[in-house]
Amino acid sequence: MDARVDLGGIRLRNPVLTASGTFGYGSEFEPFFDLRRIGGIVAKSLTLEPRSGNPPPRIAETPAGLLNAIGLENVGVEAFIAEKLPALPEGVPVIASVFETEVERYAEVCKRLSGVPKVVGIELNASCPHVKSGGIEFGQNPRLLATLVRAARRATPLPLLVKLSPNVTDVTETARVCEDEGANGISLINTLQALEVDLASRRPVLHNVVGGLSGPAIRPVALRMVWQAAQAVSIPICGIGGIATGEDAVKFLVCGARAVQVGTANYLNPLAALEVAEGIADYAARHGFSRVADLVGSLEAPGIR
Amino acid sequence: MSSSGRPLRVDAAVLENRVEGGANRRLALRVPGWPGFGPGQFVMLSPGARPAVERCDPLLPRPMAVYRAGAEREGTRLEILYKVTGRGTGLLAEARPGQRVRAVGPLGRAFPAAPAGATAILVGGGTGIASLYELAARASRSGPVRVLLGARSADDLMGRADFEALDIEVRVATEDGSVGHRGLVTDLLEDLLGSAGAATVYACGPTPMMRRAAELARSQGLECVVSLENTMACGFGVCLGCAVPRAAGGFALVCRDGPVFGADAVHWPSLP
Repeated sequence: MDARVDLGGIRLRNPVLTASGTFGYGSEFEPFFDLRRIGGIVAKSLTLEPRSGNPPPRIAETPAGLLNAIGLENVGVEAFIAEKLPALPEGVPVIASVFETEVERYAEVCKRLSGVPKVVGIELNASCPHVKSGGIEFGQNPRLLATLVRAARRATPLPLLVKLSPNVTDVTETARVCEDEGANGISLINTLQALEVDLASRRPVLHNVVGGLSGPAIRPVALRMVWQAAQAVSIPICGIGGIATGEDAVKFLVCGARAVQVGTANYLNPLAALEVAEGIADYAARHGFSRVADLVGSLEAPGIR
Repeated sequence: MSSSGRPLRVDAAVLENRVEGGANRRLALRVPGWPGFGPGQFVMLSPGARPAVERCDPLLPRPMAVYRAGAEREGTRLEILYKVTGRGTGLLAEARPGQRVRAVGPLGRAFPAAPAGATAILVGGGTGIASLYELAARASRSGPVRVLLGARSADDLMGRADFEALDIEVRVATEDGSVGHRGLVTDLLEDLLGSAGAATVYACGPTPMMRRAAELARSQGLECVVSLENTMACGFGVCLGCAVPRAAGGFALVCRDGPVFGADAVHWPSLP
């Protein structure tokens, strides 16, 4: 089975990446499987300076989902380069996720990561729903988003993905902005803004009040947005949202995603990403596909398109 | 005292899952390839036996202290003592022998051994008792051990017979007085500390209990080690959901930096 895909110039041995924020810096999963058996990893979002994150409670379980407001706790770009990347084995492609509060700072982190060994691409996090400033503002305002993608494009020669917010009326609008400003691909979706209440105390379950919803609960929403974006742009799309099995992932490929990211499932099952990669190949073989890439955009939707 | 290998993920066969008094249960799993564990380490358990079609709700695995482990015919028999408190543990209680429960572990940092010559004083409250059995077993082979166990009632008290079978001194307190001292387990600690000499206090239980144990130890100039509990999605340092404020500022992760912490490292006023 030929499982290779090209995600906007990032050549992957199979279409399975790990979603930013759900896979640490990679080495946390080394006890469980050989990281070279998946397409690559998208590391925890990096900022210029280290961030300590939000006060607890930071997570809560919801029906078939997980609500979180971690607050982008991370070691900062310098410690990532000096300590986290060298700890990974050779041959593990790393896509660095970049977050900041201002356009110039986003660009600075992108510049710093360019040319660093193992970093094969950058994913702009333009959609974090649970920090006070930055992130989602960019993902929800097409003009701000254009400014951000343009600045990042100038700052790095690396393949550039933009992780978009699902918290918009029309995702095709923000997707087109990314394409117009020179992004090489789009990652869809980040978490959905959500709220849960503890009735015993009548308090929000999260300290931050609002958080981002992930897990199986959001998968059909994600699939719909990936399908819509795939109609609207010609740059590749990386599908994200509640993927836990190979069959979940194949649905995204069929709806037009070139690759996928496994997120929340990594928490519940540290072998999830590997099992998704194996499951995709299984499905392809069982259905007579010799190349996984041929599944991409194969949705049978008569009368539509 | 911390001895364990790489954590593994395993769908372990249920050997036994029986009522242990009140809402308490004893789960025994057969785990092939278990790498050993240090006292106080934990596993993440799927909420209930794994069905044919993957269960999405409840979604998250539950952290559970490893109670004890022993060599078994095909692998290791791992025992977990837990209390049915909600949907996840309710489903776990329905798991029947022969069904499989997913376990990821061993995880977290283990209790440090008490210094040579010091008495290990173990203070367990409620389900916190489950974190202390292995520590009691190991400490009893190397020096003096005192065990203080507390619960709401006799029905609620877990593990007592196992501790007593180690041939160490075990004292019990219940809030309703149905067995042992009527009152709090920290009353027993206060009583004991007056004459303890060199000792390390190990505490696991409700936050007010651990906080009080830490105060009492500090007042006697004794070291105190606690094991914290928190909601967590992964158990191995990636979801960052189980952060607790450190006394020195910033956050520690209960799963990765703990669950065992020096009592002085914890910012007690921030804990629920």
